[in-house]
Amino acid sequence: MTSKKWVPYLLLAPGALWLAIFFLTPMFNLGATSLYDPSGSLESGYVMNGHVGNYADALSEYWPQFLRSFTFAAIATVLALVIAYPLAYAIALKAGKWKNILLVLVIAPFFTSFLLRTLAWTAILGDNSSFVHFLQNIHILPEGGRILATPFAVVMGLTYNFLPFMTLPLFTSLEKVDSRLIEAAGDLYSKPFTGFRRVVLPLSMPGVVAGTLLTFIPASGDYINAQLLGGIKNTTMIGNVIDRAFLERGAYPTAAALSFVLMAAIVILVASYVKRAGTDELV
Amino acid sequence: MSEEKNLPPVESLTPEMRKVISSQVTRRGVIAGAGAVGLAAFLAACGTKGTADTKGSAAPASADQSDSDKSLNVSNWPLYVDVDENDESIRPSVIAFTAATGIKVAYTEDVSDNNVFFGKVRNQLAAGQDTGRDIMVLTDWMAAKMIRLGWVQKFDKANVPNVEAHLRAALKTPSWDPTRDYSAPWQSGFGGIAYNGDVTKPVMTIDELFTRPDLKGKVTCLSEMRDTMGLVLLSMGKDPAVFNQADFDAAIEKIQKAVDSGQIRKFTGNEYAPDLAKGNIAACVAWSGDVIQLQAKNDKIKYVIPDAGAMLWSDNMEIPNNAKHKKNAEAWINYYYDPKVAAQVAAYVNYICPVDGAQEEAAKIDPALANNPLIFPDAATLAKAHIFAGLDEATEKKCQDAFAKVMGG
Amino acid sequence: MDQIAGDLRLVSLRKEFGDFVAVDDIDILIPKGSFFALLGPSGCGKTTTLRMVAGLELPTAGQILIGDHDIASLKPYNRPVNTVFQSYALFPHLDIYENVAFGLRRRGVKDVATQVEAMLSLVELDAFARRKPSQLSGGQQQRVALARALINRPEVLLLDEPLGALDLKLRRQMQLELKRIQTEVGITFVHVTHDQEEAMTMADTIAVMNQGKVEQLGSPMDLYENPKTTFVANFLGQSNLLTGEVMDRGDFVGVKVWGNHIKIPASRVATTNAKVWVGVRPEKIYISAESNHAHDHLGNQLIGTVLERSYIGVSTQFIVEIPGFLHDEKIMVFEQNVDASEVMAGDQVRISWDPAHTFALDAKQDAYAGDVLAEAE
Repeated sequence: MTSKKWVPYLLLAPGALWLAIFFLTPMFNLGATSLYDPSGSLESGYVMNGHVGNYADALSEYWPQFLRSFTFAAIATVLALVIAYPLAYAIALKAGKWKNILLVLVIAPFFTSFLLRTLAWTAILGDNSSFVHFLQNIHILPEGGRILATPFAVVMGLTYNFLPFMTLPLFTSLEKVDSRLIEAAGDLYSKPFTGFRRVVLPLSMPGVVAGTLLTFIPASGDYINAQLLGGIKNTTMIGNVIDRAFLERGAYPTAAALSFVLMAAIVILVASYVKRAGTDELV
Repeated sequence: MSEEKNLPPVESLTPEMRKVISSQVTRRGVIAGAGAVGLAAFLAACGTKGTADTKGSAAPASADQSDSDKSLNVSNWPLYVDVDENDESIRPSVIAFTAATGIKVAYTEDVSDNNVFFGKVRNQLAAGQDTGRDIMVLTDWMAAKMIRLGWVQKFDKANVPNVEAHLRAALKTPSWDPTRDYSAPWQSGFGGIAYNGDVTKPVMTIDELFTRPDLKGKVTCLSEMRDTMGLVLLSMGKDPAVFNQADFDAAIEKIQKAVDSGQIRKFTGNEYAPDLAKGNIAACVAWSGDVIQLQAKNDKIKYVIPDAGAMLWSDNMEIPNNAKHKKNAEAWINYYYDPKVAAQVAAYVNYICPVDGAQEEAAKIDPALANNPLIFPDAATLAKAHIFAGLDEATEKKCQDAFAKVMGG
Repeated sequence: MDQIAGDLRLVSLRKEFGDFVAVDDIDILIPKGSFFALLGPSGCGKTTTLRMVAGLELPTAGQILIGDHDIASLKPYNRPVNTVFQSYALFPHLDIYENVAFGLRRRGVKDVATQVEAMLSLVELDAFARRKPSQLSGGQQQRVALARALINRPEVLLLDEPLGALDLKLRRQMQLELKRIQTEVGITFVHVTHDQEEAMTMADTIAVMNQGKVEQLGSPMDLYENPKTTFVANFLGQSNLLTGEVMDRGDFVGVKVWGNHIKIPASRVATTNAKVWVGVRPEKIYISAESNHAHDHLGNQLIGTVLERSYIGVSTQFIVEIPGFLHDEKIMVFEQNVDASEVMAGDQVRISWDPAHTFALDAKQDAYAGDVLAEAE
């Protein structure tokens, strides 16, 4: 018996090693970088002096971008949920023999690069696109108004790009819902919508929680959509700030501090969300 | 010449397809690889802890084995040299070099980002070790940084007579290497103004770009600080090779005004190109290399070198310290400054050819190529082109921070 | 909804799935308060019939009447009908209490608590109210499913193979319990099953279904003693079916079976054809040594040889070969083990039975219809 005790640890080892090398080490380095003296540089080197002020600076200077990131991500998540739920529901419960084809279509965007997909949206939302002309014709947009380079375009891009992340978990949890439960609800005096609300919706909550997390987390850190679909005013997200701080300004301590604050903020938001959603109460 | 991350494998594409894709994401873009870049650059930064004294550890040419070892290691950007039409892995000019000199070349396309490349080589160079490379190709500001750090070797001018003889005049005296002792441009490009003639009348100056009411919200600038700031400084009568803090602040203010008025729609990497083609933006600060590709599809896309001056950037060949094959490297540089060879490369890549006389050679291959003013600009145009100052670390940072703020963070 | 009450009647009820006719114009009357079983092999249309009554399938044609109301086009949630689903379909996210309360809450009933508690004690699950279904055993889940349906006091309770997932012992116990509860609440139960023993144990009336049609409808005893088709003869218990030809008709019909004369009461001959299957249940036959004439008075008699003899506890089973009979027309005999049997394998035997235990079916029917073992081969 005792000789088998080490087996679980052995099984754990590859994962633990992987995490140690590719997660903990960079995290530690990132943490250390965030405390360097910000007056250093890539060329002259950085001095470690525990400069906690990086965090205060990062927050005081960039809180609007943080706030904007979470707002955009939250709106995109809600939109994705509203779009993906009926889609996943139809595929899981109504599609029959088309199920696999539809599922492939949902995943299909993954076959092209994130970047090219987003670039394609610049065509769809372009100033001279038929979509924009249509909106102008029905006076939703003023004459000469535009969609591209506005917060609206960024949120649309985020919603689109993360839609599969919402759809797939929803599909998985909806597919697991036994159709006889829906029949049972009908048999027990539930009209279709009541049956959905009382039976299908609660049973799909794990998918809703997983989908919203998988959408919200990457969306809050995303910078491609803001870069390609956004403009200057009211569209810069925190990911863009970090991107520029790392790559263009070479402001590594600031960038590292921003990354940490972003991570911490996401962890707090997600933790409180999961607690509220009460995933452990769900089947 | 393009960053290929997230794109289909280049080998599988037809030249036309490649053109379409590279027109979207070309050589100087950072977006495509930015995720990987972020991590790599970051890791690079982590290694710098406590190594403030990195200068002066140079131990130059002593290790040159060129006479005994006929080989050469070249690091260049992807898609930056001529290749065979049918087989991307065959590079005719490189093969011809080996045939002419007997020097075997290991040609590696491992420069995809200046900062990332810096991270790759900085530890060895700082420690006075061989990087395993004899030639590396870096953009002006990074090339300048290498020189400032003392990490690259002076050319033996006797070995590179072609550079002396054929380097175009406008490129001969950058402020950071005034006599081209350490660097030789591989390819160059303009930072100027582009406009789409389908949607606007000509835009000839930065002031027009920043103030003309019909362009409002249809203007973009490059997020590359040197090109945008250089053009703005020029438009204010300042020299981007020599400017002071007040000049810089004034230029920032000029841009900020255009941002606040809604004139400037956004700051971009190369992704302005499709927007310009579609008319989403009417005019912008643009790179000549991108515009050549756009013009192939739409001749209403025009490129303007403002009278006040345009920016000229280069990717430069440099020989790192302790390179094992310095003399072979010089033979390589000299070879590519042969106008005939330069014309051969120019026929494939869409950048300004830095070699005098190549235009005449190109005319023999393809007259249209020789007549393209964005590949072979005339002397008068080149005279209006300026190379940005090589900034020291502190100034660089100050400038980048200020510029980042104008861009919205 | 409350005024919909009375007997359940299916009138020319039909259901097609594409070209396939699942239910073929059936007519059934189920008196209010009775325990009715739909019995048949899988694919016979019994479950489709049940689902049409529940409102989960729309009939292609026909009527479903409760009293005088045709409910065929009503939505499931508007029918005074509830279902105990096969493998229960309990709501996994709700506890037992809420599962049982589900129907009441949807109808906005006031005193949910009292009714739920009463129902839970009827099915003896008071202690499990706050457990989740997954924390209960199969038998307990079965009772929750029953309680969840019954609490709504439907006019008709539908049970779709309700005991199929239980082991034999528990199934027996639940059969009795279901019967007890049905008697107690007096609601019409319509029970779908493929298990003839289960149907016979519980139901007042059984409809045997085959290929979308009702083969025969009647009390368990009626079906067993007097099957009208080979399918019923084989599906309910076992039958010996022998090739016969009618020779003369009177109060008793004389039939020749491979040269032997067999008598059958005229009331037990289900066909006017001359070619018939002569049937007799194996346990109705006495077997004795050829020399033993104790059962000669019964009337029908054959002489043969015992091919196989197997002792199975309650009874001993014999397979008897009769000279002149077709190869597969061997006769099976079950003898109660009162005393040790005198007959051994290989013995010459005399088998005898009462003509009143004999029945005759149309010879055009398949002798193996409904024979689960033979059909599987």
